[in-house]
Amino acid sequence: MIRCKTSKEIGGMGHSMKRKEDDRFVHGTGNYTDDVKLPGTLYMDIVRSPYAYAKIKNIDSSEALKIPGVLAVITGKDLEQYNLHWMPTLMSDTQMVLPVDTVMYQAQEVAAIIATEKYIARDAREAVKVEYELMKPVVDPFKALDSDAPILRSDKEDKKDNHIWHWEVGQKEETERIFQNAEVTVKEQMHIPRIHVASIETCGCVASYDKVENHLTMYMTTQAPHAIRTVIALVAGHVGLTEEKVRVISPDIGGGFGGKVPVYPGYVIAIAASFLIGKPVKWIEDRSENLQADSFARDYHITAELAGTKDGKILATRMKVLADHGYTDASANPSKFPTGMFSIATGSYDYSNAFMEADAVYTNKPPGGVAYRCSFRVTEAVHAIERMTDRYAHEIGKDPAALRFQNFIKKDQFPYHSPTGWEYDSGDYEAGLKLAMKAVDYDNLRIEQAEKRKKGELMGIGLSTFTEVVGAGPSKDFDILGIKMFDSAEIRVHPTGKAIARFGTKSQGQGHETTYAQIIAEELGIPAKDIQIEEGDTDTAPYGLGTYASRSTPTAGAAAAVAARKLRDKAKKIAAHLLEVSEDDLEWEPGKFSVKGAPEKAKTIQEIVFASYTNHPQGMEAGFEATHYYDPPNLTFPSGAYICVVDIDSDTFEIKVRKFVAIDDAGHIINPMIAQGQVHGGLTQGIAPAMYEELIYDDDGNILNGTLMDYLVPTAVESPSWETGHTVTPSPHHPIGAKGIGESPTVGAPPAIANAIIDALKPYGITHLDIPITPYKIFKALKEKGVLDKHIQEL
Amino acid sequence: MEATITKKFSLEAPIEKVWKSLSNPKEISGCVPGATITDQIDDKNYKGEVTLKFGPIKTKYDGEITIAEMDNDAHKMLLRGKGLDSKGKGNAEMTMNGSAVTRDEGTEVDFKMVVNIQGTLAQFGSRLINDVSAQLMDQFVDNFKNLLSGAEVDNSLKAGSVMGSVVKGLFKK
Repeated sequence: MIRCKTSKEIGGMGHSMKRKEDDRFVHGTGNYTDDVKLPGTLYMDIVRSPYAYAKIKNIDSSEALKIPGVLAVITGKDLEQYNLHWMPTLMSDTQMVLPVDTVMYQAQEVAAIIATEKYIARDAREAVKVEYELMKPVVDPFKALDSDAPILRSDKEDKKDNHIWHWEVGQKEETERIFQNAEVTVKEQMHIPRIHVASIETCGCVASYDKVENHLTMYMTTQAPHAIRTVIALVAGHVGLTEEKVRVISPDIGGGFGGKVPVYPGYVIAIAASFLIGKPVKWIEDRSENLQADSFARDYHITAELAGTKDGKILATRMKVLADHGYTDASANPSKFPTGMFSIATGSYDYSNAFMEADAVYTNKPPGGVAYRCSFRVTEAVHAIERMTDRYAHEIGKDPAALRFQNFIKKDQFPYHSPTGWEYDSGDYEAGLKLAMKAVDYDNLRIEQAEKRKKGELMGIGLSTFTEVVGAGPSKDFDILGIKMFDSAEIRVHPTGKAIARFGTKSQGQGHETTYAQIIAEELGIPAKDIQIEEGDTDTAPYGLGTYASRSTPTAGAAAAVAARKLRDKAKKIAAHLLEVSEDDLEWEPGKFSVKGAPEKAKTIQEIVFASYTNHPQGMEAGFEATHYYDPPNLTFPSGAYICVVDIDSDTFEIKVRKFVAIDDAGHIINPMIAQGQVHGGLTQGIAPAMYEELIYDDDGNILNGTLMDYLVPTAVESPSWETGHTVTPSPHHPIGAKGIGESPTVGAPPAIANAIIDALKPYGITHLDIPITPYKIFKALKEKGVLDKHIQEL
Repeated sequence: MEATITKKFSLEAPIEKVWKSLSNPKEISGCVPGATITDQIDDKNYKGEVTLKFGPIKTKYDGEITIAEMDNDAHKMLLRGKGLDSKGKGNAEMTMNGSAVTRDEGTEVDFKMVVNIQGTLAQFGSRLINDVSAQLMDQFVDNFKNLLSGAEVDNSLKAGSVMGSVVKGLFKK
């Protein structure tokens, strides 16, 4: 039970206040990028490559230009004149805006059409004739480093192979030694498949360049408007678009999940077109373009190993990653972390030694990968360690829950230094798992399972007790393109006691307009309903790096609390002045300062604010405003204990999630209702890669499921009834003890589901299946084990 | 993506008559829905066009057909074809094994076609391509039967009916 310090009227932390933003969403008056309608707008559509790897021999746009309403067909050669045909990625690699001579993946942008109407542009797309010379693509990342593989990035001088980078961390020799001498070692090769965020709203923009003012207003679907403004200025400063001449506005966003962090070629082409023509240019992707061409997530091939004793003491883990980045490394990771925070892969367990390494390669696939609702590769790391923990438990015949209790980092070990260099801030893993086990009635489930196994029925119980790492991040280690990953809040309280607060982050459905107001309400006692929250306009909001990877509450949320505390300090001075007492004689309760021992002598925050404009002490700055740029001292480490129960039909192998319990520890919770909503959404996005989603390419680099007809996004029909709960271990360094919740469920759910399915199949000698685990994969695995022959005979 | 299409059908005609038509590229192409031979390069190589329509997507392939093997005694043939979408949206390659044997009173014809498709069409996945191809194959068989019986052959692409029966087929499953 969460105890609130403020009244319901004030609505500070812990109140399940209804979301302020929902009024406009349920009334259909949200304002998305496609709702931006400017006079004289032109429309852009994009000709895309049907091939994964080909030379462009010729682009003939003559027929397209004959269509009435078509104003221009822009090609890579056109952009080359302005040196805009290539752009940097967030990982300091390079990406084509439009190709001059070679296409590198199917659905890559080849040319852009500008027309007076959206459908004219679409028709003209069919009329542009492109001649290609096909080349054999590199699709399999394992073959990318073969000596006979074509060198994909021959545009880079001295590039002699398809290797991008190597990364490693940990105790290599000591880990090696432990593995040589260990009583038990287990090893699995696993693939965390390429998936797509598939947000409801696709990407798009309206680029509006004013020739007279030499000013660009860019309405776009971006999770990081300030960073985008800086990138535009860096890329296009040489043609006059310097940073003060660029305004980025990110209106309402229909889901981002990391997919709206990168700069896509379409944005840059739209800017170039508007700049050259002098009119607003709108570009909105269709569903297939979004799925086929935008940055993917994951695509890690992991060789995971674990060493331990016969009685269940884990000793070391070793992981080797092959990362498929497509034709350019367009990850949205902090600069120093090419594998993101994959090194969190020792998880919730007390390892003294670990060694992890990764190599990234180029292939003929779309660039990526983005942190899809995951703090930079934590999903991959958690999947590997949670799968291997179960694998090890099965190997030595120990209950996976008992094995976890045996190896958890204990409550009194925090702050805990992991062998890969993290300082975990706080946690109580035992409490979480105990609560989850109680919620599912774990012991009885195991009894039921034993009985069912005797009858040949397939039932499995899967655990996932993960540790997350979010809130990037401390400026000593974290930057994107050199910009440190702080975030900001600016609070202005008006004379009548109502406020507006602006942030460097950008909500895409997280409910910032409500939760940020609650943080300020908690600190200042001004009712949350009286605090308007604004984000996403670079002309008005303070600078920040945006919303992704569960960083908003840890960074901007903290900034809000600190800025509010600055105001409370000022309020105290004004209250002392108004009440004619010393500051030391005052005490605070949410919403007012009163004189100690004389509670009737008090000033409300509203009276104090009014005085700051009308009767402020001489020598004090007037007004009631504060800004804070918060540079977190450490990351935050949320955790969770998830248990999943599955029943698998022994004829069709259909997987039914019977029960799913998620106990999260996100520290102090701002709004339990919103947090629960985040968990429900995240769990559904966790079941997605576990059972349904994977972008599939054939040997020629054709994407075989480039529409939502074939790419299976789970809906309410596929979602089980999620059961949620929480434990509270506040972050010791965060101003309000919060840790972040958005991505935990997406990170924690897939291994819980996979572990449950493997647990059901364990009696048949199956130790691992790659996600997504489908009925067909189970059928195939059982068939390979010869189990099915027997089964069929019985029928 | 690769799709394999096999078709076996029986005709009430003697094998020599069947094979004469089957082995004549001009006659046979007249039975393939949406196909025409535009040019004969030599006795083994032909140029032609194939128009395909999958719902909203219409593609026209400009291609070449090569008779790789033709055994008129054993009644076996191997054709290789490749086509490039005239608008640059994709390409296709095909190998086709065909054979005919006498069965009862008539002839049994056996086709195995392996088609490899790249580009926009490939994205449909095997789900649609196999179904549409099966429909086209049925249309071809009807046309071929008409050809042998001397009835009129209409090899125009009945795209609407093809999609219609595919959709019906999907719901039957």
